Amino acid sequence: MTQATPANLDLSRCADEPIRTPGSIQPHGFMLTLSHALVVQQASANLEAWVGMPAREALGLPLAGVIGEAAATRLEPEFAAGRIGSRPTYLGIVTTGNGEHFDVLAHTWDGLLIVECEGVNRGYAADFRHLYPLIGDFLLNVNGSASIIELSELAARHVRAVTGFGRVLVYRFDTGGHGQVLAESKENGYESYLGQHFPASDVPAQARALYALSPIRLIQDANYTAAPLVPELNPVSGKRNDLSFAALRSVSPVHLQYMRNMGTLASMSVSLIVKGELWGLISCHNAGPCPVQVEKRTACEQLGQILALCIESREDATELQFRLEVRRIMVEMLGHLTKGADFLENMSGVFPDLLRFGRAGGVAIVVDDRVLTYGDTPDEPAIRDLVAWLAVQGYSDVFHTDHLKGVYPAADGMVRNASGLLALPISRIHKHYLLWFRPEVVQTIEWAGNPRGKQASANDPTQLTPRLSFDAWRETIHGRSLPWHVAEIELTIEFRSALLGIALERAEQMAELAEELGRANKELEAFSYSVSHDLRAPLRHIVGFSDLLIESAGSEDLERRQRFLKNIKDSARLAGKLVDDLLSFSQMGRAALRPAKVDMNDLVGACIDKLGIEIGQRNVDWHIERLPTIWADPAFLHLAVLNLLSNAVKFTGGRDPAVITITSEDKDGGYVFHIADNGAGFNMEYVHKLFGVFQRLHRMEDFQGTGIGLANVRRIVERHNGRVWANSVLGEGATFSFSIPKHPLS
Amino acid sequence: MLKPILLVEDNPHDLELTLIALSKSQLANEVVIARDGAEALDYLHRRGEHKERAVGNPAVVLLDLKLPKVDGLEVLREIRHTDALKSIPVCMLTSSKEEQDVVRSYELGVNAYVVKPVDFTEFLRAISDLGMFWAVLNEPPPGSRRYIKPK
Repeated sequence: MTQATPANLDLSRCADEPIRTPGSIQPHGFMLTLSHALVVQQASANLEAWVGMPAREALGLPLAGVIGEAAATRLEPEFAAGRIGSRPTYLGIVTTGNGEHFDVLAHTWDGLLIVECEGVNRGYAADFRHLYPLIGDFLLNVNGSASIIELSELAARHVRAVTGFGRVLVYRFDTGGHGQVLAESKENGYESYLGQHFPASDVPAQARALYALSPIRLIQDANYTAAPLVPELNPVSGKRNDLSFAALRSVSPVHLQYMRNMGTLASMSVSLIVKGELWGLISCHNAGPCPVQVEKRTACEQLGQILALCIESREDATELQFRLEVRRIMVEMLGHLTKGADFLENMSGVFPDLLRFGRAGGVAIVVDDRVLTYGDTPDEPAIRDLVAWLAVQGYSDVFHTDHLKGVYPAADGMVRNASGLLALPISRIHKHYLLWFRPEVVQTIEWAGNPRGKQASANDPTQLTPRLSFDAWRETIHGRSLPWHVAEIELTIEFRSALLGIALERAEQMAELAEELGRANKELEAFSYSVSHDLRAPLRHIVGFSDLLIESAGSEDLERRQRFLKNIKDSARLAGKLVDDLLSFSQMGRAALRPAKVDMNDLVGACIDKLGIEIGQRNVDWHIERLPTIWADPAFLHLAVLNLLSNAVKFTGGRDPAVITITSEDKDGGYVFHIADNGAGFNMEYVHKLFGVFQRLHRMEDFQGTGIGLANVRRIVERHNGRVWANSVLGEGATFSFSIPKHPLS
Repeated sequence: MLKPILLVEDNPHDLELTLIALSKSQLANEVVIARDGAEALDYLHRRGEHKERAVGNPAVVLLDLKLPKVDGLEVLREIRHTDALKSIPVCMLTSSKEEQDVVRSYELGVNAYVVKPVDFTEFLRAISDLGMFWAVLNEPPPGSRRYIKPK
């Protein structure tokens, strides 16, 4: 069996047609399959009609025995050169022994050399020269034509001019596999299909796969009688030959019937492959039979490739433009969203942008039980129900549909403004959603014939009936919105990441704030504690010693009275200093840092100058290394260093000479400074109290102080995101260290 | 032999005023002075500088709250957690009226909490009363002797 007749074709087998292995060829040429030794293995049954030798007789003969010595001599060097690949190559024209002229195409496949000879009525090789001006002209016009439709029209005109077909269509497949006619060029008298749709069933999946592989297919005459290969099976593979790439391949009888129904006896298709996928076809029809010789087919194939490339670049550009625009809106929104603290308030502030971002009619934000809407949306109860349904579906990513009613029957009542839904869950834990609604777009699709007309009739279900009518058949589609663009969905996910980023950052800020508040609170407590304790003490002393002074008015003990007076004076002075220190300490926590470049050599120098009075006549050896320039608030840092140096001077009071060493190191992305002295030191057991407010490790009369200095140092250093610590051996000296990051405030 | 009073006070002015007050109350007890919490514990534990002192606990510890190194609350805790010391009467003598300090002190088992009055006459009376109560009126834990005021 080489060809089924339409009468016994089963519809269910329509998509299972052996289109790659039809076992036969179209009869406008003949086919030979040869072994590597160029011995004929198979011949098409129409061989006799072309060269006068029955196919059976050709089997086992060398090539020359079939097509004549001259023709074989012409072809054999081509075969021997090993230039024949898996796609047909045009080898030129040969004249067989019986004086017939043939264009010869050859390719190797299935372990055989497949030679196709198409009969032509000229004795010279196909002339490709006119191909160049054609392509050149197309390319010239491509630059001026902006849109894909304009390009397609241009291609259709050129293809018709080259081939002489009556009607040339360019159509593209949509995601459902339906074809829509984008461009048309036709002779008068041909029906127009422009704008019409062809149902996906017109081109079954396997046919589509073959189109993607083999870029051009010609049916010269739909009324042809196929010529089977003799013998039927490829002797190498033991199966029917795979003729996927053969130019003469016979096509499905169903398709031939389809063509006859459509009123076209000749057809040609050129595949448009964009990004490796079958994007569409250039489809040519002619009412009567119409041969298209190899050079013209080649021209059309190349035109198709150029058109596909142009489409690819136009689509890329459009896609890019679209993405850029959506991203621009998103970035703009995010800019606004980072400003305020309240999420809902922020989001509702960018409602118009959200609408544009999703090309939507309405937007809703659902945060638990709160629903905020903008634009044309379903009412609140409906939105709540919808969210409850979404939550049950468990979409953790974006959910989108352009036909909500199809998946959520309750949407029947909101077709008008919510046929399309893009839902973005913004929390994995809570029922928080961002919803974009698109209104219904009633679409009228004009089909080339009733798309369901290809169904088998009820009376005779086993008979295939390719649809008979190609008259425009209008279908109105309800309940659908504009589909969501891939870029919109991708960017929506990106938008969520950005939102989460903002939320995370905010949480961090809150945590930081809480921490800061906690610290400030602690300090405030210490502050008020000290007011009740430390500040009260000198006042009590003043009162006490004054009373004692009054009491001893009559006494002769002058020395005692002198001491009371001195105590009063000291206490008053201490009270004053306490107030000053407390004030500066509280300011330290409040004032904003004003960072600048600080040359630590200058800063240390200035501090030492200031300590002149404290040092007086004492003998202090300063050892100061070369110090770096850092980025910090100069005034605050000055205070910190002054405190530390003043401590060093104070606690070396009993040393002669006092030795104070200042060094620095570059460590862990920051600078560390060490101030070491050979003074009294402190017991490391109490180091944890060292930097607390009003903590003292020494008796008042040994070393004066309010207990605020080191607390200040810590506060200043920590506000620079640095750290302060100390080491000591009691009686031998202490080393105070602090670090300041190189970028303290980033 | 009268038991001494242990006065723990870091501030020299407070120290002077307290000593004057104690002397005015005419208590015959010796007053041992510690200038910070660590020193007070050294005395109580008979270690460091006080290694050689005679055995025996003081009649009362007058303890300032804010002290260098080891503060009053820490001293109190240690006294109450040391078997040999935990029966010593401890009286907080402090400037702080902060509730947290009072609460913490009583939680740790202080016997009295006295806020130093600003008025010196009152201060005198407070110190005098304190000394009188703890060193004279109060029945000390078994094993100690009660002070009898000399005629």
